[in-house]
Amino acid sequence: MYLMQSKKRAAILGYGAYIPYYRLPTTEIARIWKGGGSGPNVEKAVAYMDEDTVTMAIEAARQAMKMAGIENLGAVFVGTESKPYAVKPTSTIVAQALGQHHTLAADLEFACKAGTEAMQVITGLVGSGMIEAGLAIGMDTAQGKPGDDLEYTAASGGAAFVIGNRNKDSVAEIDCSTSYVSDTGDFWRRAHERYPRHLSRFTGEPAYFHHIESSVKTLFKETGHKPSDFKYAVFHQPNPRFPVEVATRLGFTMEQIKTGLLNPMIGNTYAGSSPIGLAAVLDEASPGDKILLASFGSGAGSDAFCIDVLEGITRTRGINPTVKSMMERSTKIDYSTYSKFRDKLHR
Amino acid sequence: MARSKAYIASVGLTGIGDLWDKSLLDLAVEAARGAMKGSPRKKPDQIFVGNMFSALGASQEHLGAMTASALGMAGTPAVKVEAACSSGGSAFNVAYNLVRAGALDSALVIGVEKMRDLEPEEVSQALAMAESAEYTQFVGATFAALNGLLARYYMEELNVTRDELSAIPVIDHANAVTAAHAQFRKAITPEVVGRSQMIADPLRLFDCAPVGDGAAAALLVNDDAASGSKRKLAEVLGGKISTNEFSLYEREDMLDFKATRLAFKDALSMAGLSPGKMNFLEVHDAFSVVGALSLEAMGYSKRGNGSRDAKAGKYARGGELPINTFGGLKARGHPVGATGVYQIAEAYLQLTDQAGKNQIEGAEYAATQNVGGVDSTSAVHIFGRAA
Amino acid sequence: MSIQYWRIRDRYYRLIGSRCAACGAEFFPPVYKCKKCGSEDIKDKEMPKTGKIMTYTQLHEPLPGFEAQAPLYLAVIKLDNGARILSQIVDSPDESVKTGARVSATIRRVRVDGESGQIVYGYKFTVNPLLK
Repeated sequence: MYLMQSKKRAAILGYGAYIPYYRLPTTEIARIWKGGGSGPNVEKAVAYMDEDTVTMAIEAARQAMKMAGIENLGAVFVGTESKPYAVKPTSTIVAQALGQHHTLAADLEFACKAGTEAMQVITGLVGSGMIEAGLAIGMDTAQGKPGDDLEYTAASGGAAFVIGNRNKDSVAEIDCSTSYVSDTGDFWRRAHERYPRHLSRFTGEPAYFHHIESSVKTLFKETGHKPSDFKYAVFHQPNPRFPVEVATRLGFTMEQIKTGLLNPMIGNTYAGSSPIGLAAVLDEASPGDKILLASFGSGAGSDAFCIDVLEGITRTRGINPTVKSMMERSTKIDYSTYSKFRDKLHR
Repeated sequence: MARSKAYIASVGLTGIGDLWDKSLLDLAVEAARGAMKGSPRKKPDQIFVGNMFSALGASQEHLGAMTASALGMAGTPAVKVEAACSSGGSAFNVAYNLVRAGALDSALVIGVEKMRDLEPEEVSQALAMAESAEYTQFVGATFAALNGLLARYYMEELNVTRDELSAIPVIDHANAVTAAHAQFRKAITPEVVGRSQMIADPLRLFDCAPVGDGAAAALLVNDDAASGSKRKLAEVLGGKISTNEFSLYEREDMLDFKATRLAFKDALSMAGLSPGKMNFLEVHDAFSVVGALSLEAMGYSKRGNGSRDAKAGKYARGGELPINTFGGLKARGHPVGATGVYQIAEAYLQLTDQAGKNQIEGAEYAATQNVGGVDSTSAVHIFGRAA
Repeated sequence: MSIQYWRIRDRYYRLIGSRCAACGAEFFPPVYKCKKCGSEDIKDKEMPKTGKIMTYTQLHEPLPGFEAQAPLYLAVIKLDNGARILSQIVDSPDESVKTGARVSATIRRVRVDGESGQIVYGYKFTVNPLLK
């Protein structure tokens, strides 16, 4: 009843990710604002001043298209909460950069789950036979108010997925998904505000945990799957602790979540967070592996997917840089440099 | 086929510097009056104004009519000629050709530029318009950046040292000490150049011509006007404009200043002279590397040796072939659209023995070389004493 | 001035230059006439995204609009098809920016018209491309 499963089988044909070059150690943030200590994560990825959601989305999309090896996209959807323009779609710039014009294009917003929503929408368009293939991107240059706890984790990055009709070369099938939402304002940003605001303890149980547990438990109920059926589980990762906690509660082990858990070293890439965790898993997964993907977006909601890795994954090795190599390609900066890069200095 | 010889009958020039109290038109009029002084005719047959960025610098175009009117010469044909930093030399070339052809008996060429009313970054933007808006300005490259790229390439490909590169600016400053109209009149050492502020690595502040205001004018006359003249004349023996592939990086050989090479060859050919006949040169050293490459393009130094030969003394005042006798672009100054006419005016002063303490004794022939962009345009003229 | 850039956005986003149909030479920026053989039979062609640095400079006073990036690396890059392009080098440690270094293209914000104007995206290069 609550399971979203497309009639025509849809699969990931190609994927790509992007993490910018710069890292801000959380000790730097704590040094400035707290006189010492660190945040819950070690470092976060920081975009350079000439990067934004558009540029990063194009980089990831190009890789996904290269792997997919297709010419035409019927839809380009970008899920983000850091659109460079409040009005003017990111997705049309991505489409232009990919040479795509006869395509449905739109930007989605649902905090950190806008990327996985894009995946569901594209899956629906493919599964209904309306399009042959489409591109779903989750990407952000997340911003935290200076001095706010969110600043430790708000990071830049994300991933892109080309989803199309399943064939023998497909990388991984999107078997089914569920979605669970409620009006829960744990984190928000009013229209003309620069930085988001959030509640503190409230972001835990009533928000993150309730919605992820609801979507995943519904998925288990509808499909009959249990945690041990899955080789990997990827959860939205606002900090290093929440995904471990929710995994444990749902019956998953550290072994299952560790490959997709990137927050400690790159922070929370918001709409890119669970998508890039999925990309990291796909870099290492084998045919036959089952992956649980569960996002969480404040406002609030969670999408849970059951994804099956296919034979086609073996031919993808070496086509694109791995998420791991992107994590390694880095240089540390200090707080003042970060402030300049992210335009936090009032001029 | 020339119908007439062409001569410079007189020149006018303003001092170059931060001329806060003078407008673009003030300067043009001052130089023009200097050139018209003592002229038997009240008006030239046509006025040519060489200028690069009056639009950005003074919100002003239509300089030809504007200057003619200001001089009380409404009715005289007048146009503005623009070719970036070779606007002055190019304006002169157009006028020269019309006088040679017999279409004009006389022409007044005025080079004028007002740079200081703009902030430094606005000047930078104005100068960058010599280069492609869509592919060079677009990436944030200033004119200095292009020359910095050229300088690094020159130094790495041909093993030119920092010290060698500094030689031409040193010569310029030495010559400007006694030049009344020069912007900077203090001698410098190579160390001063090599230690100055980095602009576009490896080019430093003293490798680069300064920003300044100024205007220079020259009155060109034909045989009829010249005959029986009591004024001192210098003959224009040849002159040519040539162009290169527009952008530096699209050239087969970035170190070949083809426009200068061809313009010089053609101008000499018109004059019927060999390069060895020149007694001094006014070289377009907007940047030290441009001076060096210009000398190489004209064949006076072998490839890679332009700065090296300068360091060895070849181009110094007392050397084999003096250059930039009043300080060149670096020390006399470079109010961009005016520079070409300054060079020509200086050649005239030399060849009519009016160069004062800067006089090159017994000079018979000279070449002036005025460049737009990085040798995208080159206007070369050959002058000689009037018989 | 955003229309001037809009017109050539495909050139900026995808490095679409020219290929001479007569002799095969390729150019970026695009040309009207082949610089090699003079043919006017010119077609659009997407350039390779990798090449090497022919020469470079570090600019301390960039054009207005680029001040925040000073000092800024600019390079003449010879792409793998022989075409030469002028571009910024970003995200590259100082010691890696040198003549002969291999570089690859990325897409970045090139010009931004203040807080309320349009953003112009285009090519830049890195010496530090994503590792395999």
